[in-house]
Amino acid sequence: MQYLVSVIDDKTNSGTPDEMIAINAFNDRLVADGNWVFAGGLSDPSTATVIDNRGGEAVFTDGPFVESKEYLAGFWVMEAPDLDVALKLAAEGSKACNRKVEVRPFL
Amino acid sequence: MVAALTRRFGDLDIAEEAAAEAFATAVERWPADGVPPNPGAWLTTTANRKAIDRIRRENKRDGKQKEAQMVYDDDPPEPLGAIDDERLRLIFTCCHPALAMETRMALTLRMVGGLTVPEIARAFLVQETAMGQRITRAKAKIKAARIPYRVPSAEDLPARVSGVLAVLFLVFNEGYLATGPDTDPVRHDLTAEAIRLTRLIRALMPKDGEVAGLLALMLLSEARRSARVSASGELVTLDEQDRGAWDAALVAEGHRLVRERLASRVAPGRYQILAAINAVHTSVRDVRDTDWSQIVALYEQLARLDPSPIVALNRAIAVAELDGPEVALAAVDRLEDKLAGYHAYHATRADLLRRLGRSQESRAAYDKAIELAGNTAETAYLTRRRDQLA
Repeated sequence: MQYLVSVIDDKTNSGTPDEMIAINAFNDRLVADGNWVFAGGLSDPSTATVIDNRGGEAVFTDGPFVESKEYLAGFWVMEAPDLDVALKLAAEGSKACNRKVEVRPFL
Repeated sequence: MVAALTRRFGDLDIAEEAAAEAFATAVERWPADGVPPNPGAWLTTTANRKAIDRIRRENKRDGKQKEAQMVYDDDPPEPLGAIDDERLRLIFTCCHPALAMETRMALTLRMVGGLTVPEIARAFLVQETAMGQRITRAKAKIKAARIPYRVPSAEDLPARVSGVLAVLFLVFNEGYLATGPDTDPVRHDLTAEAIRLTRLIRALMPKDGEVAGLLALMLLSEARRSARVSASGELVTLDEQDRGAWDAALVAEGHRLVRERLASRVAPGRYQILAAINAVHTSVRDVRDTDWSQIVALYEQLARLDPSPIVALNRAIAVAELDGPEVALAAVDRLEDKLAGYHAYHATRADLLRRLGRSQESRAAYDKAIELAGNTAETAYLTRRRDQLA
């Protein structure tokens, strides 16, 4: 079972050196324990481009599809047997990156 | 049965519907064919078959769902008493911290308590459709997010149990002081279910002080149930209750639990202190013998753990007996900012003002309390008290 752990923030690339050390240590443990699938930080939403190709011709729009004060600043995809394990890992992830996170299961 | 089916099939919906179908089949067949020698086993077997049929039907209908929804039950047939373990698993699933508090209560009543959706909707004063949706959404989340169906591991157990206790306490309170204009003032089904489930948790964790405390608190409250509402449906306050009508066995059991906790010499938590307060109240046959200084001391101890204005209000009520209504009123008035929307704040003020002979102010406070009170017996009591004012 895979879970998306979204890092919620109102800025991007704002991790301090200490936070980066904690995040790396946490990631190493995810890999060692078999919970790692993927993770990454994202650039600011203002760098996003929305594409709509439903009409036959692709339309490109500058900016995020939804404006909000807080947004997805980074994420993990984790492998966990159930939500209890996922919540525990997400709690550790929140502590490591010093941000709020959201857990959502994949279909 | 729903618990056992959930475990076997890993799906609350399938379990619930299979159980219902099995009962429906029984109602249809038993009058004609006669009741089978072991009705319980018959129902379980039938429900299992219905569940398997249903899964097969769904798999045929939707190829994508082929990934079997069934969580195979590899365990050998369970001995008697295992049903309780199933119920515990179900309680912990329903009270999972990833669900909202109201959802946990509703789901526990539905899945563990077996109440119907309309009954639960009435208990929480929401529309039936809204309650149905809330429960459906919760079940969908349990399935999609894979909220595990098990008793938590030893290291997680204390935190998870306190979450379960909070749910059970709310369920009990909803039964004990049921809200709603057309609702019975006491919902015995809810109080009894809360007590039964708390006993189960106690069997799981016999050494946990707060579990014992909550059980004692419920028992000592339940013991006074029949004395708390008059024949005319009016609330009877503690000082006016016929103490001979209290359930002596429940009082004795509650006292035993409180003594057990005192003997443990472990610092008590919130439920244990509340239970101790109730034990002081229920240990005298005449209200005039009540040890109010001990009750005030217990409320002070509770306020250190839980500095909420409601605890301060209850402490003030005890202070009125010890130091008089004037001292108590001053303490109550300091809570206005936080409790102006709470009926008990106004009811307490009304009573203290009445005792101080300040009838006009008392009447206004009763009016406010009646406006805010949701329990029919309480409204009747407050109305009589107001109308008796000079």
